[in-house]
Amino acid sequence: MGTPTAATVRDVLKQLDAAKDRVTLHADGHDVPVTNLDKPLWAGAGQRKAVTKRSLLRYLARVSRWMLPHLSDRPLFVTRFPNGINGKSFYQKHWDDPPAFARTVAIYSSQGDADGDYLICENLPTLLWLGQMGSLELHAWYSRTEREPDAVTRGRRFTGSEAALDKSVLNYPDFVVFDLDPYDYSGRESRGAEPELHRRAFNRTRKLALQVREQLESLGLSTWVKTSGRTGLHLYLPIVRDLDFDAARDVAQTIARHALKDRPKDVTLDWSVERRRGKIFFDYNQNSRGKSLAVPYSPRRHATATVSAPVRWKELETIYPTDFTLRTVPDRLEAGGDPWDGILEAKQDLGATLGVGGAA
Amino acid sequence: MARAIWSGSIGFGMVSIPVKLFGATESKDISFHLLHATCGTRLKQVRWCPTDEQEVPWNETVRGYEFGKDQYVTLTDEDFEKLPLPSKHTIELSAFVKAEEIDPVYYERSYHLAPDERGEKPYALLLQTLEKKGLTALAAITIRKKEQLCALRPKDGALMLETLYYPDEIRAQPEVELDKAKITERELEMAFTLIDLLRKPFDPEEYKDHYREALSQLIEAKLDGRDVVKSPAGRETKVIDLADALRQSVEAAKKGKPKPAARPRARTSARRATRKVS
Repeated sequence: MGTPTAATVRDVLKQLDAAKDRVTLHADGHDVPVTNLDKPLWAGAGQRKAVTKRSLLRYLARVSRWMLPHLSDRPLFVTRFPNGINGKSFYQKHWDDPPAFARTVAIYSSQGDADGDYLICENLPTLLWLGQMGSLELHAWYSRTEREPDAVTRGRRFTGSEAALDKSVLNYPDFVVFDLDPYDYSGRESRGAEPELHRRAFNRTRKLALQVREQLESLGLSTWVKTSGRTGLHLYLPIVRDLDFDAARDVAQTIARHALKDRPKDVTLDWSVERRRGKIFFDYNQNSRGKSLAVPYSPRRHATATVSAPVRWKELETIYPTDFTLRTVPDRLEAGGDPWDGILEAKQDLGATLGVGGAA
Repeated sequence: MARAIWSGSIGFGMVSIPVKLFGATESKDISFHLLHATCGTRLKQVRWCPTDEQEVPWNETVRGYEFGKDQYVTLTDEDFEKLPLPSKHTIELSAFVKAEEIDPVYYERSYHLAPDERGEKPYALLLQTLEKKGLTALAAITIRKKEQLCALRPKDGALMLETLYYPDEIRAQPEVELDKAKITERELEMAFTLIDLLRKPFDPEEYKDHYREALSQLIEAKLDGRDVVKSPAGRETKVIDLADALRQSVEAAKKGKPKPAARPRARTSARRATRKVS
């Protein structure tokens, strides 16, 4: 199956538009029953209309062409909001009885010392099924189960023990990631709440992102940027898979420390939330097996139905996170293409670029 | 907002009030780290055994109580676990007193008490009762393994909890000999006049820590002027140094550096993943 054709997507949209409150969708030869299509998942406010489950499924179908390549071969975990972003949410990584069209992979987990089945979302039916379950936020590992083309010597045994997993290809990420998360409060937050999105904080975050990009660019390394869909920015540095997660984390930590030295008033690496106040948390700890930021185009739990949106560096000066929502992003992609087109192939050999061992 | 440091319930007769406890005060003192002045590296504390002349890992340590000069009785974790902790998760109210009856010397730390889930109603009842009667409740609470006396009082529409010292933790006053100090009427009059001049309502906003303000300004100025001592671990101010540091990271990884035994692993429990939301 893989990435759906334009005709398949059109067909699913037609079925969704014609459906009453429930229907069994036919997509790529599989049946996906969907219900409560008119249930609002993001409440409306003022001029803004509510985003219903039908809108979510339409969104997922329309962006699937660009989103699925980022999910393919990667263990997935999701945050489910069965009653929308204002209802209870929970986090799920193992599934008891996934449908036949959804691929799963058994992976050892040190918590509980046992193997567990992870879902891998690699086709439109699985994506629609996840949407039906209210899985709004999708997180996929930075490593994947397949070895081609840059990790052919790594193992494919993921079960039995931590040691086996350590040696496997799942311990070698495709990216070093930086999560720039502003703890610059607007002042309107209620007690204990997380910082809200506001212009000053986002401007500071974008300046920091541009500086990190410029510094890495001067070393010959290209980074890619997306909005987190909430308040911050995510930077991805695609790499050849010859560094394991620990090494990727070391690389990210080195860059984070450098940013801290450079902008001590803007950057914090502090683990204590209270001490991050007023600064941008440069989180390098996401470079860890089993952790993940929201995948590109994943919806987020924000009142305006924002998504985590890849952007072009030259756009970064003028964009704002709320520009990218479930309503706007499909049109943007269809009209202007994917800013992250090519990222999965743009692998960089850190050792060679930096001249490790006398090379370069 | 700080995270709750304790949660449990207030036992008030037959009623149980679920509550959370938050620290009400914080010290704003600026703290410093000790660096090696010649190279700028942050100094490490080492647990050193002078007998074996070696550094001692945590798992080879044990707590010893010095009962005589150089003579210790040792206590293990199991010993500590055996100790009784009657009020582990409850604040059992035992008496009601007038606030003035508690001398300020007994007050140790202040906490805010907030109702936990479904605790609002009984919380409000206790609060209003204390407000209307003008009383403070005495109770016991166990925080960080230590049982302490505490006082609960209403303040600005919420309950506050102050931990109290036990009487044997209060030192006796030194003997003060005043018999020979004779005060004249005139001296008293003058002192009264001076006091009347300075008499005003208490406004804590008027008082600032001038030393801390000056210190913060000095630190800010040093940061602005980049008058920063860099530890060798992160001594990269130019991109070229970033390249060096990165090269070292990658090189170490490729050589298969020995991994630290207890590197924090990916923790993907439900709780953390939903809290971390970027």
